[in-house]
Amino acid sequence: MLFLKECKKVLFSLTFFVYFITVLAIYLTQFQYDGREALERPVPGYNDYGMVAKEIPEIMMPAAVESLVCEYLSGSFTAYPYGFVKYVKLTENKKMQLAKIISEVSGITAQELDSFEGFEQGGYYMDENGYLFYQEPVIPKITMPENLTYEHFRELMKEADRIIGGGSKYSDEFIVGNFSLVPKTYEDALAEYEQFINEDKITTAYARLYCDYLGIDLAILPVFVAVALANLDKRSRMEQLAYARKISSTKLIFTRFFALISVMMIPVVLTTVLAGNLVNNLYPGYAVDSFAIYRYMIGWLVPNIMVASAVGMLLTEISSGLLAIFAQGAWWLTSIFAATGGLTGRIGRFTLVMRHNNLMKRDVFYAQWENVVFNRTFYTVISIAGVALTALIYEQKRRGRINGLPFQIDLQNFKRQSKA
Amino acid sequence: MDNCIEIRNIDKFYGRKQALKNVSLTIHQGMFGLLGRNGAGKTTLMKTLATLHCKKGGSITVCGTPIEHVKEIRSMTGYLPQDFSMYPSMTVQESLDYLGVLSGMDRQLREERIKLLLGRVNLTEHKHKKVRALSGGMKRRLGIAQALLHDPKVLIVDEPTAGLDPEERIRFRNLLCEVAEERIVILSTHIVGDIEATCEDIAIMNSGEILWQGTVPELLQGAEGKVFTFNAPKKYLPQIKKQYLVTGMLVQSEYTTVRIISDHTPDLQGIVLAEPNVEDAYMYCLYSHGCDVSGGDA
Repeated sequence: MLFLKECKKVLFSLTFFVYFITVLAIYLTQFQYDGREALERPVPGYNDYGMVAKEIPEIMMPAAVESLVCEYLSGSFTAYPYGFVKYVKLTENKKMQLAKIISEVSGITAQELDSFEGFEQGGYYMDENGYLFYQEPVIPKITMPENLTYEHFRELMKEADRIIGGGSKYSDEFIVGNFSLVPKTYEDALAEYEQFINEDKITTAYARLYCDYLGIDLAILPVFVAVALANLDKRSRMEQLAYARKISSTKLIFTRFFALISVMMIPVVLTTVLAGNLVNNLYPGYAVDSFAIYRYMIGWLVPNIMVASAVGMLLTEISSGLLAIFAQGAWWLTSIFAATGGLTGRIGRFTLVMRHNNLMKRDVFYAQWENVVFNRTFYTVISIAGVALTALIYEQKRRGRINGLPFQIDLQNFKRQSKA
Repeated sequence: MDNCIEIRNIDKFYGRKQALKNVSLTIHQGMFGLLGRNGAGKTTLMKTLATLHCKKGGSITVCGTPIEHVKEIRSMTGYLPQDFSMYPSMTVQESLDYLGVLSGMDRQLREERIKLLLGRVNLTEHKHKKVRALSGGMKRRLGIAQALLHDPKVLIVDEPTAGLDPEERIRFRNLLCEVAEERIVILSTHIVGDIEATCEDIAIMNSGEILWQGTVPELLQGAEGKVFTFNAPKKYLPQIKKQYLVTGMLVQSEYTTVRIISDHTPDLQGIVLAEPNVEDAYMYCLYSHGCDVSGGDA
């Protein structure tokens, strides 16, 4: 009964209405737009089928060495140790260790590296006519030893990654995607398409794309609805009436949390049904997995809603709704802009916003499957823990042990009453 | 004792400020008035009894149950805070129903109690009205209904008549007296008239301490022979105010009838001993306990 009453409170709130409209708008402008045409089977003879990451030592080794030299000379190494960007500056001792590795793979001595002047980062620039051109980096000449085997090279790169602190471009996880991209052949494109049809059964690929789009927004929007609900008692001057009732804090807070999740799932379920129908209509006559999109919705999107709601409830209880919105907003922005690997298979163990903005590249996604499972389980558990903490704080406020911010905790009484 | 509240030697601190100082009280069934000026510690004591504040030291038992048994205390206590409202978009009936659910009442019981209480507080015809549309008096009556919803043994009402017009105030006081027939009702107020009209037993608080506890006749008795009236020319009023504790002034055309409190009969022309009222007795109590009553807030 309480659950239904809490659901009603959320359902008829203005913030939920805005949330509902926003989710619907995202679906219509993003996913539905991408799903306006069916993918067609590749035909031979095209110039460009896109790029693909393939482990080709002849391509990977020089590119990785050049990048390593550039980063060494710039004095900063980009790494993504936990899915978040980190610019690493090495100590003198570590620089010496890395210089030895660079020397072994590039033929450039440590002394040459340290005395080199006029370094310039390579990259794409625009000329005076507005055309893009590629500028080679200005670095010492690289001469890779002929006797350097691929296996030993990978060992050295692994060591370089360890010195940098892990999660660098030279790690086993990222080296192929960063330095071994080659143009896709017709055969590659066809194989990918066959995988899309036969292994992904079409709908699984679309389910990932759907979750990718909605996952971005569901990692932030629920915090607004949660803050509005968590603040409602205070705004309505109803706090003390609720505090004085018999109900346990745990029951009340968890019921409110599950009501939030349930009501916020309404537009998500609605768009999931629409997305499923859209894909079925796009590919008539194909054998599809009709439940794939629902499985993905539950596994991928629900943890996002849970974690944003838990942050909203917890921080509102601790301080104010504004802090909750700022904190979740900052986390969300960091997650959106920090992770490596473009928009495909961008799934760290702790990445809040998982990305796979691609109907293809199933292999890239499943290569991260362990991360996916860990990530979603972690955020589900952490949300529940956050709500449990909210209940604990609510109970302390209810008993007058904590009063707003900064915390005024009467520790003496806290201990005394805890024993009682 | 099963039908009373026993408070023994409790303290309460807000940081370094002591809000309750060694408070001890025994409160029996019926109306009990807690009188004191703003900031005397009445709300702190009320909240402590409603388990919304934790005490330091001492003990409190409510109908035999120690205050630390929070769940039991909450199920036997109804609380009407000084400043409250309910979800503005809910109707009167929905609000009560929601709070009934929070009190763990089943649907049938809620329906019965809500119907009964809405009738008792004269809100039956307003049950479908949104809370935001209620007047101050109606909100207070709704407040009483919510506090009585789970049929508590103890009702704690904090400054319930503040801001009400005289008619609503009388109606509200009568309502409290009615519900006090079957339970303990603790009324906290700084309005002496509310106490005078409703309570037999009272306690006076000041600066977190209980200054005095007893019955209203006992309080009046204490002020007997200490209240005087006389007519004074207007030009002497400032001097009189400096010398005596003035509890009333009735301005007339040439003279002002002044009502003062004094331990000894003042040597003034035309002075007459007066029958003390509860306001006089309350002021005398503060005065005789050395409280500063010269300011305007007493």
